Amino acid sequence: MSATALSIEGLRKSFGAKDVLRGVSLDVEIGEIRALLGANGAGKSTLIGCLSGALQPDAGSITVDGQVHTGFTPRTAFDAGIAVIYQHFSLIEPLSVADNIFLGDERVKHGTLRPREQEAVATELLQMIGAGFSPRTEVSRLTVGERQLVEIAKVLRREPKVLVLDEPTAALGEREARLLGERLLQLRDSRDIAIIYVTHLLHEVFSLADSITVLRDGAVALEERMATVHHEDVIAAISPSYQVETRRRSAVVGDDAPVLSLKGLHTSFVGPLDLDLAPGQVTALFGLMGSGRTEILETLMGMRTPSQGQMFLRGRAHRPGSPSRAIADGFALVPADRKQRGVFAQLSSADNVLLPHVQRLATPIARHRSRERNAFARVADRVRLQPADPTTLCRHFSGGNQQKLVVGRWLVDGGDVDVLLLDEPTQGIDIGARGDLYRLIRETVTETATTIVFASSDPEEVLLLADRVLVLQRGRIVVDAPADSLTEQDLLAAAHGSSTSELESEVA
Amino acid sequence: MTVSLSPARGRIVGARGATGARVGRFVASNTLLIALVLLCLFFTTQSSRFLTTGNLTGITLQSAILLVIVVPMSLLLMSGDVDLSVGSVVGISAVVTGLAMTQWSVPPPIAVVLGVATGTVIGAVNGILIAFGRFSALIVTLGMLAGLRGLAEVIAPRPVYGFTPWFSTFGSGRSFGVPYLVMVAIVVVAIGAYVLGLRPAGKHIKAIGTNREAAFLSGVRVNAMSFWLFVGTGAAAGLGGVMIAARLNSAPATSAGVNLELDVLTAALLGGIAFTGGRGSIRGPVLGVLFLGVLQNGLTMMNVAPAWAVVAKGGALVGAAALDWMTRRTTSADT
Repeated sequence: MSATALSIEGLRKSFGAKDVLRGVSLDVEIGEIRALLGANGAGKSTLIGCLSGALQPDAGSITVDGQVHTGFTPRTAFDAGIAVIYQHFSLIEPLSVADNIFLGDERVKHGTLRPREQEAVATELLQMIGAGFSPRTEVSRLTVGERQLVEIAKVLRREPKVLVLDEPTAALGEREARLLGERLLQLRDSRDIAIIYVTHLLHEVFSLADSITVLRDGAVALEERMATVHHEDVIAAISPSYQVETRRRSAVVGDDAPVLSLKGLHTSFVGPLDLDLAPGQVTALFGLMGSGRTEILETLMGMRTPSQGQMFLRGRAHRPGSPSRAIADGFALVPADRKQRGVFAQLSSADNVLLPHVQRLATPIARHRSRERNAFARVADRVRLQPADPTTLCRHFSGGNQQKLVVGRWLVDGGDVDVLLLDEPTQGIDIGARGDLYRLIRETVTETATTIVFASSDPEEVLLLADRVLVLQRGRIVVDAPADSLTEQDLLAAAHGSSTSELESEVA
Repeated sequence: MTVSLSPARGRIVGARGATGARVGRFVASNTLLIALVLLCLFFTTQSSRFLTTGNLTGITLQSAILLVIVVPMSLLLMSGDVDLSVGSVVGISAVVTGLAMTQWSVPPPIAVVLGVATGTVIGAVNGILIAFGRFSALIVTLGMLAGLRGLAEVIAPRPVYGFTPWFSTFGSGRSFGVPYLVMVAIVVVAIGAYVLGLRPAGKHIKAIGTNREAAFLSGVRVNAMSFWLFVGTGAAAGLGGVMIAARLNSAPATSAGVNLELDVLTAALLGGIAFTGGRGSIRGPVLGVLFLGVLQNGLTMMNVAPAWAVVAKGGALVGAAALDWMTRRTTSADT
C-alpha cells in the first residue's frame, strides 16, 4: 500500500522579485494523511495554487500516480487526479447540491442534461460521507458544515488520487470539525487516496495526520512521521525563536478606570468576551486567521452588531451601529486590507490623511488650504513619511508609507482619537517602515494616553509592541497576560489550540 | 440591488392556514403573471377592442422582436455581463439586409442570412474584447451602441425600402393565425429555455454569474462561455434587425431599434433577472416583454398620450423594485 501518490520535485514560484516557493520537494503516499503547516506567507497557499492549477510553477515537477507534470490548469489538475477543497467555499448558491457536484462535468446524453442520473450519483456520494440532505436542495439553504460536505462529495466524484483540504475546519464548529475528521479517516482507509491537510491547528494535526510537513519562507523546514515528532519541534519549525530585543515598557498596567469595557459580548462568531481596556496601553489580539481578531475590532468600530452583551465607553453604553458614529465617539480603525479598505490610491497623500478632517478644518464657506497644509506637514513629520510631499498620489508611495498615511489619518491634531484599532498594521511592509510604525505606535500611546488595540498573527510583533496580550482561539480569549511574561512559543501553542499537557495525552 | 419578482424566496410568514400559506407562496412566485392578468382585465373593462384575437395577436407581433433579443440578453445578464449595443445592432443588421436586397441584388434568403451574420460578427467582436481581452462590457458595448448607429447612417443615408413580396410576407404574413415573426420568437424562447434548463451551459451561466472564480476552478470554461453569450446576443439582435426590416417593409437607419436596449433591459428586470448575475429564468423576461407590450397597447387604445406610456413603463419598473423589496422583507422575517 505504500505507493507514492504525489511527488513534488524542486517546485519554485516567484511573484515579481519575491521568491515564494524556493525549491519545495514533497512525497505523499497512498493511504496517508499529510498535515501541511506554516506561518502566514510561508508558501502554503502558493503550493496549493500550483497543485490546483490556479498558479503555474516557474520550475520543478509534480508527479501524480506516475505521470510527470510541470504545471496544471484547473481542468488538467482534475484530470491528473488532484482535487483541492478551498478555504473559501466555491459552491454556487443558486444551484442545487447535485448541480454543484457535477458543475463543469455534467452528465449529458446528446447534449442534454441527465438530472436523474446526477441525483442518483449525488445521493450515493452524500450517503458515503454521512450527509443527511437531499441532492435537490439549493445550496443557499445549507449550513456551513453541510456545504463543506458538498465540497467533499463534489471532489470525491472524480475519484481523485490526491485530496487537498485547505483549512477545512476554519469555518466549522467544534462538533462539525470532529465529524469531518472522522470522515477523513474513514475515507483514507476505504479508498486509494492520499490526503494533504492544511491547517493551523496543532491538535488536528496530532489527532488526524500520519505525517507532517512544515513550510517556512518557501522551503520545507520539517518533514517527519507523526510518531516521531513532538509539538515543540513543530512550533520551532513554524517560527524559530528570534532574539527578542529588550524593550521599554510604558507605565505598568494601571489602576486607571477602564476606557473601554466589554461585558459578555457575543457576535456571530466571537464570544463571550469580558474585557477592560486601560488608557495609555497597547493591547495585542493574537490569533490565527479566523480566530475572531478582525471581528472584535469591527464590532468595536460599529461595523458589526453584537448579538449579545454590552460595550461601555468610559462607563457609558457604547452602541455605535456605524463607523461614522464610532468615529464621532473617538474610535478609529486601520483595516488589514490596506489596498481595498485603507487607502484612496488615486488621491494625493494630503487628501488621504485629511479626508476625515477637511470639514473640521474648513471655514463655513470653503476648505482652508493653509490649515490643511500645516496639519498635513505635522502628520507627515510625525509618521516620517517618505517623501513628505502632500501632492504625490497615494499609489506612488511604498506599501509602508501608504500604511503611514492610513495611520496618520487618525493622528491629525484635534482629531481626538481615544481608541485606535489596528488590524495587522505591518502586513506586507518592509522592515524600515515597520520600525517607523512601531515607534509611532509607542510614541502615540505614551504621549497622548490613547488606548491602542492591534490584531496580529506575528508573534514577534506582538511581543515587541504590546503591553498586554490576548490570545484568541475560535472566538474566545484563551490567554490574557502582560507581554513580558510570554514567549513566542507560548503564543503559538495557545493560538494553535493545545496546551502542552493536552498534546502529550493525545500523542500518547 | 436586484429586482426580482419570479423566484420564491423562502416562506411567507403569517398566522394563515396551510391554504393561505400556499396562496401566499403562489402570489410571491407569480407576481408578474398576476400583474399581467390584472392589467389585461383592466384594459378589457376600458376598451371593447382590447380582448379580441386580432388585438392580442397584434400585441404578440409587437413583442416578437423584443422576445428574440431578451432571451439571450437574459442569459448574458445571468452570467454577470450586459450588452448595451443591441439597439444599434438591430439598426445596422436591418440596413444590411435591406441594402443586400435592393442595392446588391442578393436573393432575399441570403439577405436574411447576411443580416443575422452582421449581428453575429458584432457579437463576436464584443465577445473577443470582453471575454478574452478583459475590456469592460459596459464600455465596449456602449461604444458599439454609438458607433454602429453612426455606421448604419453612413452606409444608408436615406431609408432603404422596396423589398420583394417574399420578404414582406415574412414580416406581415401568418400561418394558422400565427404571424411568422411570432413563430420565430417562439422558437428562440424555446431554445433559450432548453439551454438554460436542460443543457450544462445553463448551469455554467448561473455559476459564472454567481462566482466566476469558483466556476473557473470547477473546470467551467468561463471565457468561452462569456464569448458565446455575446455571440448569441449579437446573432439574436441581427435576427431582430431582419425582423424589423420585414415588418416595416423598410430599413430606416436612424430609427430601427433605437432605445430597444432599454426595453430589453426593462423586460429582463421586470422578469426577475438579477443584474448582479446568478439568478433568473426564461419565463420571467418573456412575461416582462408581454407586460410591456400589453401596457403599451392598452394605453394606446385608451388614447393616452404616448409620453404617458413611457412614464407608465418607468413606473412599472420602479413599482416592481418596491414590490420585490417588500416581499423580500416579509419572506426573510422568519429566517
